[in-house]
Amino acid sequence: MAQFRLNDPRVLSVDLAGDSVRARNGAMVAYEGQISFKRLSGGGDGLRGMVARQLTGESVTMMEVKGSGTCHLADEARHVNLVRLSGEKLFVEASNLLAVDGALRTGTTFTGLRGATQGNGLFTTTVEGTGQAAILSDGAAIVLRVSAQFPLQVDPGAYVAHTGNLRQDFVTGVSWRTFVGESSGESFQIRFTGEGLVYVQPSERNTIGGQL
Amino acid sequence: MPFIRINSKMVEAKVAPGQRLFSQRGSMLAYRGDVRFTPNMSGGHGGLMSMIGRRVAGEAAPLMTVEGNGTVMFGHGGHHVHVVDLTGETLYVEADRLLAFDGSLSQGTMFMGSQGGVMGMVRGQATGQGLFTTTLAGHGSVAVMAHGGVFELPITPDRPVHVDPQAYVAHRGEVRNKLSTALGWRDMVGRGSGEAFQLELSGHGAVYVQASEEKL
Repeated sequence: MAQFRLNDPRVLSVDLAGDSVRARNGAMVAYEGQISFKRLSGGGDGLRGMVARQLTGESVTMMEVKGSGTCHLADEARHVNLVRLSGEKLFVEASNLLAVDGALRTGTTFTGLRGATQGNGLFTTTVEGTGQAAILSDGAAIVLRVSAQFPLQVDPGAYVAHTGNLRQDFVTGVSWRTFVGESSGESFQIRFTGEGLVYVQPSERNTIGGQL
Repeated sequence: MPFIRINSKMVEAKVAPGQRLFSQRGSMLAYRGDVRFTPNMSGGHGGLMSMIGRRVAGEAAPLMTVEGNGTVMFGHGGHHVHVVDLTGETLYVEADRLLAFDGSLSQGTMFMGSQGGVMGMVRGQATGQGLFTTTLAGHGSVAVMAHGGVFELPITPDRPVHVDPQAYVAHRGEVRNKLSTALGWRDMVGRGSGEAFQLELSGHGAVYVQASEEKL
């Protein structure tokens, strides 16, 4: 299985020994050894994945990185966070996915209203199986635990990814004040309940909710 | 007179009487002591030929001379700064990535197109880098800028390194570089992996790569 390493917080080094990983198209910054790059059509698994991607707009193109040696991947100096999956499912925005082990399955899932306010569309990418994944964040991400007693509210623009059995609801603090320009700037949040982990970045993407 | 790293985006240098530094014009952030900054019209020292070389080569990032007695802090544009200490070998770097360097290093320009034949000529066009690059040789310290931190990969004869031209920052040592391509008919019809061109560096030395494909 491919080994994921971080010698620099912004560079993912992948050691390959004849196996493969899937990575964001064009993310290679350097490589040593015999490595080939092949663009994957659709980026999902098979024809259904491809069609789903076309429909959902979760269409960040991926490439297959294969061979033996070390491949260094990075994207616009964003921080790289390693996630080790052992059977569970990772939910991540396609724009935050840097690389996944070749053995992991990727797909898309419906997220409802949350996605729309995030400016990320109504669908999100899922990664499932056993192996490592690397996700990108604007600044080093922190991991927050959600348990039955401790739900978590997250700014939609700071949300990066989550794992576990979590329910997400959309919370608004919109009142007449929002519309007369006296809002706190924190009108929308995502509320996570259940058991799992949420990755939060120290930066806020532009979202529709962020303007209110 | 090595540069001292203050944080990832700032370095500090000591200036002593009789020694001087060169830095990109306007990159001084703060200084202590009695320090003078003079614009350097010829774009560094090295005599008239070097000056002409620079004009022709377009490698004429405006430099200033830093002299006196004190300490100076340098940084520019919020870019990450990486310090390279040279012990006799040559550093190859684009002029606009140079933040500051020891005045004792000898400067020159090098025609990169001569390496690798036609593909070498294409290199400048394909990578957005000039056909000429600045060289610094000798013993001393150089501070180079990058987008998002720099990592160093060693180059040995049995282990050449392939670098994305947009992520390439600089290299040192006895290194040959050529543009390699993975272009097949698939790439021509727009189904490429986005990794069609790479710089292949072979020989003895090291290459500095940034964690981004964004130019400065």
